[in-house]
Amino acid sequence: MVDVLKKSIWVFHLNSGSCNGCDIEVLDVFTPRPDFERFGVKLVPSPRHADAIALTGPITRAMVPKVVEAIKALPEPKIVLAIGACACGGGIWHDTYVVVGGIDEFYKILKEEYGMDPPTTIYIPGCPAKPEALIYAAGILADIIKQKQRRREDVIREEDEEKRKIETIIREEIGSRHFLPKIIVKRGPREGSV
Amino acid sequence: MGRLRMLIDSLSHPRVTEKYPYEPIPIPEDFRGKPEIDPEKCIGCAACARVCPPNAITFRDDHEQGYRVLQVFLGRCIFCGRCQDSCPVGAIKLTKEFELVSLSKDDLYQVVKLELAKCVRCGKYTVPYRYIKYLMEKGPKILKYELLLCPECKSEVTTLIKYHYAQEVHE
Repeated sequence: MVDVLKKSIWVFHLNSGSCNGCDIEVLDVFTPRPDFERFGVKLVPSPRHADAIALTGPITRAMVPKVVEAIKALPEPKIVLAIGACACGGGIWHDTYVVVGGIDEFYKILKEEYGMDPPTTIYIPGCPAKPEALIYAAGILADIIKQKQRRREDVIREEDEEKRKIETIIREEIGSRHFLPKIIVKRGPREGSV
Repeated sequence: MGRLRMLIDSLSHPRVTEKYPYEPIPIPEDFRGKPEIDPEKCIGCAACARVCPPNAITFRDDHEQGYRVLQVFLGRCIFCGRCQDSCPVGAIKLTKEFELVSLSKDDLYQVVKLELAKCVRCGKYTVPYRYIKYLMEKGPKILKYELLLCPECKSEVTTLIKYHYAQEVHE
């Protein structure tokens, strides 16, 4: 997957309904301070010239055919950089009616309606993604850095002693009900009733 | 002369490009990065899941195996820090980690499973033990007797006890 990028990576920037936060970061990363071009990354105006698509935004429904066209035009091997929270998982718009809601929902549409396999995807979370995060992604693609983020799963079980302690305390509480408020029910005939 | 001055100017300035991927960069003190749940501290109250604007933190109760499953999906997180503000025990904290790039979606999840307590009346799973323990220490005292009851039993028992008690008073 990673040995694709033995040569310079050219990127086509595609905005699919983003708030422009991530787009500004994409532009910012080409300025002298982060200097993305030292990794050979270059912005190109057509997906036919590009190796990867830098996708920002949660993919609005109107943009779906355009994104599909761009991915079709991309030469093999296809790579998509999903930049920002919106592209990765829908972000703040994940359940809105007007967007598809992230790249994975889009891939389902791509599979069902267009019969295409999803391209290689690199998730770059952040709202917006830091320029350094983009550089990190380029580093992973160029095999300079190893991926740091891993799935973490913890299962917490309580010890039996703790459980018993809690249960005894609460059973005692159930036995004594001295703290209940006094309620006096008047059992006379109601007004208006026969 | 103008070009010569430009050359002298550019040579007298130091290099501005950061050597980032090869050297770490300084991170500001109040930088908001990856949110992380400390599973040893978490009580499973799901306050973070309630306040999370993009629903990056979600929770569900697994009634078959008896776990409350808290899930943080970093791909959707907007790093607002509301989870950190709402957590009553300080279990969820925003770290300074920003290198979250991953090649698969699975790597962006953190899952915490907490064991659920059983209702003493009907035997259904209710809330995590940790949560009960926390409420026993810091919660209101009047609630204590109904901590180990499921919501249905709680309302039934409360009504029964109150009715019984009221009858006694009347007699």
